Amino acid sequence: MNKIRATIVFFVVMAIGSACIFFSSCSEKSMNEMIVFTRSSGKTKYLDYDTTDSWRYIPQAQIVALDPNNPAGSVKVLTTNYYSARSPQISFDGKYLLFAGQQKQNDPWQIWEMNLRDLKTRQIIASKENCTDPAYLPGGRLVFSKFAPNDTLKAGHSLYTCNLDGSNLKRITFNPHTYFASSILSDGRVLTVGRQIFPEKGDPMFIILRPDGTKADMFYKGTKDTFITSPGLETNNGRIVFIESDKVFRGKGNLISISYNRPLHSRVNLTSEIGGDFHAVCPLHSGRLMVSYRKSESDRYALYEFDPDNKALGKVLYNNAEYDVLEAVETGKHDRPKKLPSELDMGVKTGLLLCQDINVSDMQSSGNTASFPKSSRIEIVGIDSTLGSIDVEEDGSFYLKVLADKPFQIQTVDKDGHILRGPSDWIWLRPNERRGCVGCHQDPEMVPVNRVPLSVKKSPVVIPGHINKVIEKKVSLE
Amino acid sequence: MKTSGILSVLLFFSVLGLIVYFPGRKWARVHVNSKTAVGDHPLNCLSCHLYTQKSGFISKLVNRKYMSPFNMAVSKEGDRLYVVAQEDNALLVVDPEKKKVLKKIIVGNLPHSVILSNDGQRAYVSNEWSDDVSVIDLSTSKVVDTLKTGNGPAGLSLSADNKSLYVVNSYSSNISVLDLNTGEERKRFDTGNNPTGTQLSPDGKTLYVTSRRALIAPYGETLKSEITVLDENSQKITGRRNIESAYMMENIAFTPTGDLAIVTMIRPKNLVPSIQVELGWMMTYGIVVIEQKENGRVIQLLLDEPNAYYSDPFDIVITPDGKKAFVSHSGVNTISVVNIDSVRSLIDKSSPELLNSYSDNLGISSRYVIKRIKTGANPKGLALSSDGKLLYVAEQLEDRIAVINTKSLETVSTIDLGGPNKITVARQGRRLFNNSGHTFQNQFDCYTCHPDMHEDGLVYNMASTDMGRNLTNTQSLRDIGDTPPYKWNGKNQTVYKQDGMRFSTVLTRTEQFNYKDLDAITAYIITGIPYPPNLQYNPNGELTESQLRGKAIFDRTMDNLGNDIPENNRCITCHPPPYYTNLKMAYVKTLASSDDSMLFDTPHLNNIYASPPYLHDGRAATLEEIWTKYGKEDKHGRVNDMTKNQLNDLIDYLKSLRAPAYEHNVSKKFHAKNQSN
Amino acid sequence: MRKIFRKNIPRTAVAVILCGICSVAVINSQPSAEKSPANAHSKDDAKPMPVYGHWKNFTTKDGLPSDHAYCVRIDGNRVLVGTHEGLSVYEDGKWKTYTTKDGLAHNGVVSIDVSELTGDVWIGTFGGLNRWSAGKFETFTQLNSGLPNDLVYCVICDGKDVWAATAGGAGHYDTYTKAWEIFTEKNAPMHEPWTYGVSAGDGKIFIAAWGGGVIEYTTKTKKFKDYTDPDGEMEIDLLPDDGIVHDITTATSYADGILWVSTYFGMSRYDGSHWKGYFDHDSGLASNFINFIRAKGPVVFICSDKGLSSTDGKSWVTYKKNDNNNDGMAIIKNFGRNDDNTINKTTKEIPLSPSIAHNFIIGVDADKDVLWVATEKGVSRGELMK
Repeated sequence: MNKIRATIVFFVVMAIGSACIFFSSCSEKSMNEMIVFTRSSGKTKYLDYDTTDSWRYIPQAQIVALDPNNPAGSVKVLTTNYYSARSPQISFDGKYLLFAGQQKQNDPWQIWEMNLRDLKTRQIIASKENCTDPAYLPGGRLVFSKFAPNDTLKAGHSLYTCNLDGSNLKRITFNPHTYFASSILSDGRVLTVGRQIFPEKGDPMFIILRPDGTKADMFYKGTKDTFITSPGLETNNGRIVFIESDKVFRGKGNLISISYNRPLHSRVNLTSEIGGDFHAVCPLHSGRLMVSYRKSESDRYALYEFDPDNKALGKVLYNNAEYDVLEAVETGKHDRPKKLPSELDMGVKTGLLLCQDINVSDMQSSGNTASFPKSSRIEIVGIDSTLGSIDVEEDGSFYLKVLADKPFQIQTVDKDGHILRGPSDWIWLRPNERRGCVGCHQDPEMVPVNRVPLSVKKSPVVIPGHINKVIEKKVSLE
Repeated sequence: MKTSGILSVLLFFSVLGLIVYFPGRKWARVHVNSKTAVGDHPLNCLSCHLYTQKSGFISKLVNRKYMSPFNMAVSKEGDRLYVVAQEDNALLVVDPEKKKVLKKIIVGNLPHSVILSNDGQRAYVSNEWSDDVSVIDLSTSKVVDTLKTGNGPAGLSLSADNKSLYVVNSYSSNISVLDLNTGEERKRFDTGNNPTGTQLSPDGKTLYVTSRRALIAPYGETLKSEITVLDENSQKITGRRNIESAYMMENIAFTPTGDLAIVTMIRPKNLVPSIQVELGWMMTYGIVVIEQKENGRVIQLLLDEPNAYYSDPFDIVITPDGKKAFVSHSGVNTISVVNIDSVRSLIDKSSPELLNSYSDNLGISSRYVIKRIKTGANPKGLALSSDGKLLYVAEQLEDRIAVINTKSLETVSTIDLGGPNKITVARQGRRLFNNSGHTFQNQFDCYTCHPDMHEDGLVYNMASTDMGRNLTNTQSLRDIGDTPPYKWNGKNQTVYKQDGMRFSTVLTRTEQFNYKDLDAITAYIITGIPYPPNLQYNPNGELTESQLRGKAIFDRTMDNLGNDIPENNRCITCHPPPYYTNLKMAYVKTLASSDDSMLFDTPHLNNIYASPPYLHDGRAATLEEIWTKYGKEDKHGRVNDMTKNQLNDLIDYLKSLRAPAYEHNVSKKFHAKNQSN
Repeated sequence: MRKIFRKNIPRTAVAVILCGICSVAVINSQPSAEKSPANAHSKDDAKPMPVYGHWKNFTTKDGLPSDHAYCVRIDGNRVLVGTHEGLSVYEDGKWKTYTTKDGLAHNGVVSIDVSELTGDVWIGTFGGLNRWSAGKFETFTQLNSGLPNDLVYCVICDGKDVWAATAGGAGHYDTYTKAWEIFTEKNAPMHEPWTYGVSAGDGKIFIAAWGGGVIEYTTKTKKFKDYTDPDGEMEIDLLPDDGIVHDITTATSYADGILWVSTYFGMSRYDGSHWKGYFDHDSGLASNFINFIRAKGPVVFICSDKGLSSTDGKSWVTYKKNDNNNDGMAIIKNFGRNDDNTINKTTKEIPLSPSIAHNFIIGVDADKDVLWVATEKGVSRGELMK
């Protein structure tokens, strides 16, 4: 009898166990094949570039999961406990979901991570300020945008990185720009949408930088008639796809593709022949795209497949008259970007900047040989004041040691201090960063001439000029 | 056995296991840390004790002999492909249609190139490590003659009348003119530094020779590499064209009409502080286009793109219709397809200033590169079928030939040459060594600065602290496994550390090697990089009279005046055989004002003749200069008592030094003598 | 030549005096010359000595960088001239000069030779040795190579080998192996390392070694043999035709199986068996003070401080310039034998207008119908007179 009972108990336990395994694996499997997207019941506004924060914070948005094989079916709301949530990002192993969320209406937006197995969430960032647009970095870290109020740098949202438990929080952008909509390229760098806000507002452009905030540079700046209105996402064939909206006809967002290899001269409008408005795009493992699209202003943004080769919309994946689809991601494992090493040394208070020739101009590489006034002097301008002006070397080179994490611009001046060219874009250097540029306004596709700049035969000029000596830890990387 | 008994035994072994495990693991950790000079290398016994064995049973067990196809030639009929199998010392006769190796003809040591006579009866194979050319009768597939050449024969070209064979001597930097009737060398002309490629113009009048290394010049001077032009009729050198800011010009091809000669090349940035990789601050790659007319221009065009680099261009071929050029990029496993009409159009419409700016423009390649075709590991030599329809690619580290349709620009098939199926750890390491995938945006790889696993003859500003300081002469990687520490400042105690985290932080600037890859590249560097034989200065180990006198000076303990030379100022003290280094740090008063204060790792001297320039910052263009211009204070050995004859003898001896494998007997004698003393 | 590079006036003065004292004895000993192969030319096989006229002189006014010309070499359609201020090339009627800015080791160019094998030009300067190949200069110095010394007085090409006579010994450079050998008093029968001249022929190298006479080096056997003055240190030639006339040799030149050796005290001729000495008093030599010689076939051209002489060993042609104007003359002397075996000496003077640029001659080269001469005050070009 005992044996029979024991046998029954055994089989029951086995059956329960098997069922658990079956259902849990089913759950995991299903999440691996899901599409996760953000939907908003409110009417989606046009991107308002006159303020710095309205673009990425959408009230009463939900992150939901959809089985792409059953598009007609209902979606599962993953952020039921949040007043609003968006910007879903899937971890490289496909097991976690990173998102920005607002638990209650008046709470600041924070960064959260959800375990896709049990849909439990945990708060990663707890700040008094709004945080949004998280993206997974290799090495157990993430990057996100955080509002910086009364920032002496006059920045809006800056980029920060931290560990997945919120520790080791580090700011990585230090210029008077506001940054949103970051993604991580397979080369390990952060591609983000940055827009100057001081001294005057500029157009958004793609800025690329290393996760430690070094080597920040313009990646793509769009056309004079358009705004970038979505993150730039890398496809598996070396393209970056994103949405640009027309400055005049704001209801017209187009799906744009540029090549990673040559972003400044490879722009293709994939939807120029398609009417309507594109709001978001997401590359799929298959090489195709998902897009958020509406035919007219009276329609809702629905989720479609898109064939980039034929520039054609595919089947509808989700369409609900109550909601706009804001952005979507595909669940499942995906390739981890490279984990870039960092040359930062926080014991160092400065960075080094080398410019090979201030008189190298983009006009030269475009064949315009018309003469322009040459300069032998530059002025370095900070946020609030001039940091100094120096004569450059005979070959046009200069070599600066500047305080780290302090933004500055450079302009060429004549002997009387009149500005000849400039100012440059805002530059910052991280502690111990060494950085070079070919010229002040050079063609961004130009590489340095292989010659020894005269300026590096001397010690660097310390900027600000009133600092005689910077006492810092001696480092030796090599 | 009772349960208690079983439990007791289990408990005993558990305790024993714990006792062995924890101290054992601790010991292993200390051991591995000491051997790798890093603190987190996995405790994997095999990586050190199996794969880094240079010789013996284990080495034979874990390593394989590969084919390593390098260059090729196709018969006129297209029915035979002749493949130089570099590591197999053979010429393979391949049926490309059946994808089958028909015959293997053993040639000399480390064959480099093959060329066929016009009548298709003969093949000539240059043997880079035996200083000769194998003459093969293709009807019998036998080597019928062996012709002596200069040192390191590489590229080959036949005169238009097929009576002379031009052999480029890559190590002695000259070109031999062999009379094929007599087999004798008729002339030898100096070329640029380390030449390899050669091609006769379609009209049969002009022979071009490309060189890989730049001409030795003081750091800071514009880099110049020579293309040597030989007039076929007079058999005299008529041109030495300096190609500025470029080097590693491996090969050359002419358009069928002969209006352009196109050469593969690298434009390095060694004079610019190595502060970043982004935007081509380390290396760029492209072609040199030479117009073949009076006052023809020399234009350099990059094949790179702003965020993608096509490293280590090796070979170039041009289709018979003159429309397309194919360039093999051995560092990124890619063939670039260049539209030659687009190149013509670009250079026709551009001003000299604009053309000059193109040589540093990463975007310009979009005007003429029409396709990138992926290949197997390390594509080297290219060959076109005579109708131009098929392109053959020697995938050196794949032991395979790729066949590409030149119209569809797709790989249509591959030909397996029958090498080992297993990719050993060292072979994987060699693939990593030769591949730019572990550098940011594929900008360069180990091979780029260490061609032939040696050094590129350049001095770099590694900008370790401030920019412009601490210039570094590239060092050879040949057989360095037993010569730690590494780097001039000796900071890296092991190859593991050398290629570890700091390497990626300041040099490759991308994700560091994972430990599996690091083990592989270490295994390769430690076990797989032999020295070429020193056939020029010491062909058989018998020193000349001058070298013997030089050896006596090298070994001497007293100067010409009869004074004792302090032990630490004798050559032999710091440079004992077999590596001619005592593996210690030294002060020889060569620190420059631009150097941080440091001692220098005593360099090994094997095959030192092949490593100019000299000293840590490459200031000495020749061995002589070490002791004439830069040895005036007698701190780098006692030298100022020597006569010029003695200095010449000493240098003759230094040039005679060979690979450590040859020097062990010398080493034994040296140590025996020391012990007896 | 030594006079230019190393002042030796007292020695020279003594030599001149001694030469004067001994001249009678030398003249008296002239009959012994009949044993010499130099006089073995029969009337039938003797070709007339070439005489050059229609001289044209070039100076800085014509484009030379300096009037002080040290050497001259004809290279096909061009002429290479070594001057105090660089290498000058005359081609298509124009002079083009190369200096240290172009890669020349030193502007003082004292010797030039052209490799028949490769066409490369080898240039000896006061500051090193250059190879000038297809427009590119490569520099060898005592600091960067095995070159014995930077004072390169003479350079010659012998097949793949290059030989340089320097102030630190004779250097041999194998262009195939790129290896240097140095020959000095340490390893060759020289008295001191100073060497002035070098020439090659029939597998032998002939080094003019200061104070050491002529050093003959057989390239195949690598054996040395030296020819010194049997009169030792004496600056007179006591016994005629017993060897070279003096140990202080300034140049050698080998052609047609004859070795010619110049000194500051006369000239010698060696046919492999017999030596024959020539002095200004018993031959057509313009002066015993000979800077340089170059043999072309049976004729040797002799650069002296008092004009340019040439001879086939029997007949002499000497070119001189008048002191007071640009004219001068070619003095033709024939030393034949009468039927009674007495010497038949005839002299003929041909006026030249203009003549050579200056009587202090340092370099010469001849090719077919032209003769080029490097003098202290310009370069001269003469044409073969029919």
